[in-house]
Amino acid sequence: MRRVKHFIEQSWLLIAAAFCCGLLLALTNAALKPKIQKNEIGEMYDKMKGLMPQADKFEKVIPQAEIAGNITDVYEAKDDKQQAVGFAFVGTGSGFADKIKLVIAVDKDCNKLLGFEVLFSNETPGFGSRITEDWFRQQFVGAPTGTLELVKSGRADKEKDQILALTGATVSSTAVVNIFNNHIGELKKLLKEKGLIK
Amino acid sequence: MAGDVKEINLGRTFTAGIWDQNPVFRLLLGMCPTLAVTASVKPALTMGLCVTFVLICSNIVVSLMRNLLKPHLRILMFTLTIATFVTIADMFVRAYAPQMSKELGPYVPLIIVNCIIIGRAEACASKNNLIVSITDGLGMSIGFTFALCILASVRELLATGAIFEYPILNTAGEGGWFTPWAAMSMPVGAFITLGLLLGLINVTKKNRTSKAGCHGLR
Repeated sequence: MRRVKHFIEQSWLLIAAAFCCGLLLALTNAALKPKIQKNEIGEMYDKMKGLMPQADKFEKVIPQAEIAGNITDVYEAKDDKQQAVGFAFVGTGSGFADKIKLVIAVDKDCNKLLGFEVLFSNETPGFGSRITEDWFRQQFVGAPTGTLELVKSGRADKEKDQILALTGATVSSTAVVNIFNNHIGELKKLLKEKGLIK
Repeated sequence: MAGDVKEINLGRTFTAGIWDQNPVFRLLLGMCPTLAVTASVKPALTMGLCVTFVLICSNIVVSLMRNLLKPHLRILMFTLTIATFVTIADMFVRAYAPQMSKELGPYVPLIIVNCIIIGRAEACASKNNLIVSITDGLGMSIGFTFALCILASVRELLATGAIFEYPILNTAGEGGWFTPWAAMSMPVGAFITLGLLLGLINVTKKNRTSKAGCHGLR
C-alpha cells in the first residue's frame, strides 16, 4: 500500500498531464482532420484537372483494393456531356534521393499519354528537380502508351517513343521514364479486364 | 526552485534571446532545422512561427507547473508538453498550409527534439514565473526566427536571385547577368552560409562578454 501511495505521489502530475495532452490532441485532430483529408484529395484532383482540362468529373473506377500490382486508385475523367476524356492514376518509383510520385493521365482509349504531374519528389535542386518543368513534361504529352525510350543527346522523336533526358539528371529522368514503363502496361491490362477500353 | 526572489530584468531577458544569447548564432542550438529548412525564406519563416508557438506554449505550461515538478520526472514532463504542442502545430500547418507542410516534410514534427525548446524549459521556465518565462520564450523564438530568415535570405538570393520569391537579381534565365548558384539551395550551401555568418558574428562579439537576463545556459 505504501508503494502505491509513493507511486501516486511521484507521478500524479504526469498522469494528469498525459490525460490533458491526450484530450487536447484528440480535440485538435477531430477539428482539423476533415480539412487535412480534403487537402490531400484536393491536390490530386487539381493535378488531374491540369492534365485533362476538359474533364468535369473524376470517378474512381478501379479502387486500389482490387489491384494486385503497384498502381493506386484509377480514376476515369468525364466531361460535362458524360463523355470519357481519359484515365488517371498515381505511379511511384525510386528517384535519385527519394521516391517520385507522379499523377499520370492517358486518353480514353489508352493509346496516347496526356502527360504527368509530379505529386511528390525530393530530387536535387537545379538538376533532378527540373522534372517538374514544362518542357520536360511536354515531351510525354501525345506520346504513345508503349515502352518509352530515354535518349541523352540530339533530338528526341516523340512519335517513336523517345524522351530527351535532362542534362545532369540522368537518374531522375530515367526514374520518370521507368515509372511510365512499369505502370502503363499494367494499367492497360487492368482497363481491359474491367471492359473500360477495347 | 520555488520563489522568484531575485529581480529579473524583463527587457534584458527579451533582448538576450534576440542577440546576446541568440539560440542559433550564440548558443548553437537547434542546428537541424537551421540547416534543413533555410533554402528559401518562406519555409524558414513557417518553421520560425511553429517554433514560436511551441516555445511560448511550453514555457507557459512548464512555468505554471514548476512548483509541482518532481526533479527526476521533469524531463518527461517537458517532453510530453512539447510533443503535444508540436503535434498541434503540425496539424495546423497540414490543414491550413498543405503546400508548406509538404515542403517542410518531417521537420515540423522534428521540433519535438529541438533543443532550444527543452533548453528553455530547463534553464528558464522551470525556475521563473509566468511573465519572465513568456518574455524569454518570445525573445528566444524571435531570435530563432530572425536567424533562420537571415540565413534563408542569403541562400535564396544566391540560389534563385529572389528573396521571399520576389526577384531582386536579374537572373541569366531571364536575360540578366546573375547565374543562380544551385548549390546554395542544397545542404552544402547551408553549411557554408552558416559557417560564414557565425564567423562574422564572432568577429563582432570577440571582446564582449554577454550578460544573461534569465539565468541561462552559461
